[in-house]
Amino acid sequence: MLEVPWLAAVASCRRDDGKNADGFAALTPAEARAMQAFAAQIIPSDKALPGADEAGAVHFIDRAFGKPFFADIVPVVRAGLADLDARARALGERDFASLSAGRQVAIMRQVERTPFFLAARMLVVVGTFADSAYGGNKRGAGWTIVGFEHEPTYASPFGWYDAHEEADAKSDA
Amino acid sequence: MTQRTYAEGETVDFVIVGSGAAGGVLAKELATAGFSVVVLEAGPWQQPSQFTHDELAVERENAMLNLAFEPIQTIRGSEAEPARRNAGRALAYRRGVGGSSVHFAANYWRFRPIDFKERSKWGPISGSGFADWPITYAELEPYYTKVDWEIGVSGAPGPFDPPRSRPYPLPPLPNKSSGVLLERGARALGLHAQPSPLAILSKQYDGRSACLACGHCSLYGCEFGAKSSTLATVIPKAVATGTCEVRAESTAFRVETNARGRATGVMYWDREGKERRQRARAVIVAANGAETTRLLLLSATPAFPHGLANSSGNVGRYIMFNGHASTFGRFDHPLNEYKGPVASRTVHDFYDADAKRGFYGGGGIDARFNYQPIGFALGVLPDDVPTWGPEYKRALAEYFTHSVRFYAHITSLPVASNTVTLDHDNKDRWGRPGLCLTYTDHPDDMKAKQWFRDRTEELMHAAGATRVWTQPILPIDGGVHLLGTARMGDHPRESVVDRYHRAHDVPNLFICDGSNFVTSGRGQPTMTIQALAFRAAEHIGRFAKSHEI
Ligand SMILES: Cc1cc2nc3c(=O)[nH]c(=O)nc-3n(C[C@H](O)[C@H](O)[C@H](O)COP(=O)(O)OP(=O)(O)OC[C@H]3O[C@@H](n4cnc5c(N)ncnc54)[C@H](O)[C@@H]3O)c2cc1C
Ligand code: SF4
Repeated sequence: MLEVPWLAAVASCRRDDGKNADGFAALTPAEARAMQAFAAQIIPSDKALPGADEAGAVHFIDRAFGKPFFADIVPVVRAGLADLDARARALGERDFASLSAGRQVAIMRQVERTPFFLAARMLVVVGTFADSAYGGNKRGAGWTIVGFEHEPTYASPFGWYDAHEEADAKSDA
Repeated sequence: MTQRTYAEGETVDFVIVGSGAAGGVLAKELATAGFSVVVLEAGPWQQPSQFTHDELAVERENAMLNLAFEPIQTIRGSEAEPARRNAGRALAYRRGVGGSSVHFAANYWRFRPIDFKERSKWGPISGSGFADWPITYAELEPYYTKVDWEIGVSGAPGPFDPPRSRPYPLPPLPNKSSGVLLERGARALGLHAQPSPLAILSKQYDGRSACLACGHCSLYGCEFGAKSSTLATVIPKAVATGTCEVRAESTAFRVETNARGRATGVMYWDREGKERRQRARAVIVAANGAETTRLLLLSATPAFPHGLANSSGNVGRYIMFNGHASTFGRFDHPLNEYKGPVASRTVHDFYDADAKRGFYGGGGIDARFNYQPIGFALGVLPDDVPTWGPEYKRALAEYFTHSVRFYAHITSLPVASNTVTLDHDNKDRWGRPGLCLTYTDHPDDMKAKQWFRDRTEELMHAAGATRVWTQPILPIDGGVHLLGTARMGDHPRESVVDRYHRAHDVPNLFICDGSNFVTSGRGQPTMTIQALAFRAAEHIGRFAKSHEI
């Protein structure tokens, strides 16, 4: 699953700007709407913790899309996003993003095994957790989800068990 | 750093190809002994300030690895199969001054007496080239100690340690939660978890900083110089002698030989891609098990039709990577394994092979969870956790800080049909043939992985994990330990170098790196690579002084 050159191209998105008025450079407004809604179902937001939406994963993906390397994959993801909208219209809605969460999830289940889904899901995950210099993981939102403190250095004890090391050794001695 | 430079056309005493774990040590030792030395290093000379914690670039883009510079390597199970592109890290190493010692995890296990004489003790193993080393642990022990003290190794004695002539220079690094849990599991099963010896400073040493537990250790370079890479330790000392030049971005493509069959120097491309020649009285190849193979094979001449130093046909043969097997566990309280060096405790009760198990194989088990967030979110959670949606997210939040992996590092048998060869269909940017890995696990290696996985699973339950999960045992498709492709031995028909690392076929060519391994050891080769390098340097220097080269 971890195709190295594929991700290498994502990494080259760093230090790259050139957005249009809506804040997107490569995604059309419709694609950005669909992608954002899709991302919000991959890693949903809830009261306790942010999700891919707050992390701005769609902005990471927008930059990845601008890379020539994605010549092969961009059409797959674009077609997949258009397909999400088409499925929503068939249900009488304006587009995928306008659907209720439950109906979005139902559509996503239908396409869960497609190359589109696998590629888009991977982009959402990487966009949520990669350094914010790449456009996503805004204010460390992704790191907040997993509980990664992201300091340059740390001091021991690192976790509960090493903080309670002596008690641990005695408890079952 | 300003360093002595040698003019084009100048003949030096030694040219060393590669500045990694072995090359760095050789450079420092030979330069300190007063010889003129040029080190050719294919990759750049990065400063610690250039290292980053950027997971996408480092772990996904492989920014520091050979793989970022080169077309993807190919792999096949046997010569009969077509080679396919390998998307993973088939033959992976760091290309740059300091080599793979810069970004490694720094676990520094010594070999034990058994590792050098195991063929005699165990007997032959069919389908393998299992053999004794021509040297013993006792012969190498002073050099292990030299590694401890010269580069800085932290640790404490354990119940099964081989004899040592001097204590560790530095106490162990702080225990981690993973280490406390491994100790707990080991105690419950009557086993022993001992502090992991690490080539990382637990205290200030030799003018370098102690480890600051930045947590970006394996695959990353240390920004503080606390990891005892050759970049941080012996290379600055080699340069400080004033007789050693480390020439970065210089890619060797041929060892030159004359009509008398002696090496005369090395041809390389400089950073502009211009062909250059470095003449030397003796050549030392220390480019690791993959690249040493390529360089020797590319140095074929009519007198050496199958590649330089390859009259035995064993250059590129017997590659060994060390097997791995593991079990994951989740615990009630946070471990935060992403902080600190990779591992702090190791179980060595299963080091020795045991005929009662029904197969050959031994290893050690450490505890770690060396994942950064992307790697974790893409591929570590138990199989029954969905890959998206609220349950996925809950698992992301619950597992990252609370999980650990008990990780077994295991022997790999040397098998003649497991090879690194030139891939003429897959050239690099210089037009140099790429590398093809042909590899099938020996049946005993597969059994050993299964057996060790069961041990890690028992340990995980014994440690009290509330959720335990494993991944399937897979065949090896590459790795970061590149061992065995220029094996050492007394007989020129069976080995590539003699016990002093001199090529049997070329009197002034030496090969010294992971390629010389006769057997794989239990999974942390670099301490032994460096002990061999200190020992080789002493003998090579002695030969040079007595005109025996
Ligand atoms: C992520 C990771 C973690 C690891 N963790 C551990 C660990 O915990 N414990 C352990 O014991 N080992 C570990 N290793 C393995 C360890 O890094 C290697 O065993 C060791 O560095 C090999 O030493 P070497 O001298 O043989 O080669 P290297 O250190 O690889 O050095 C070879 C050098 O030669 C250079 N070179 C190659 N070809 C040419 C050429 N044609 N011209 C000029 N220069 C060339 C390369 O660029 C490189 O700098 C790890 C490796 C990796 C990748
Ligand atoms: S964990 Fe310690 S030794 Fe490893 S890179 Fe960070 S500071 Fe350096």
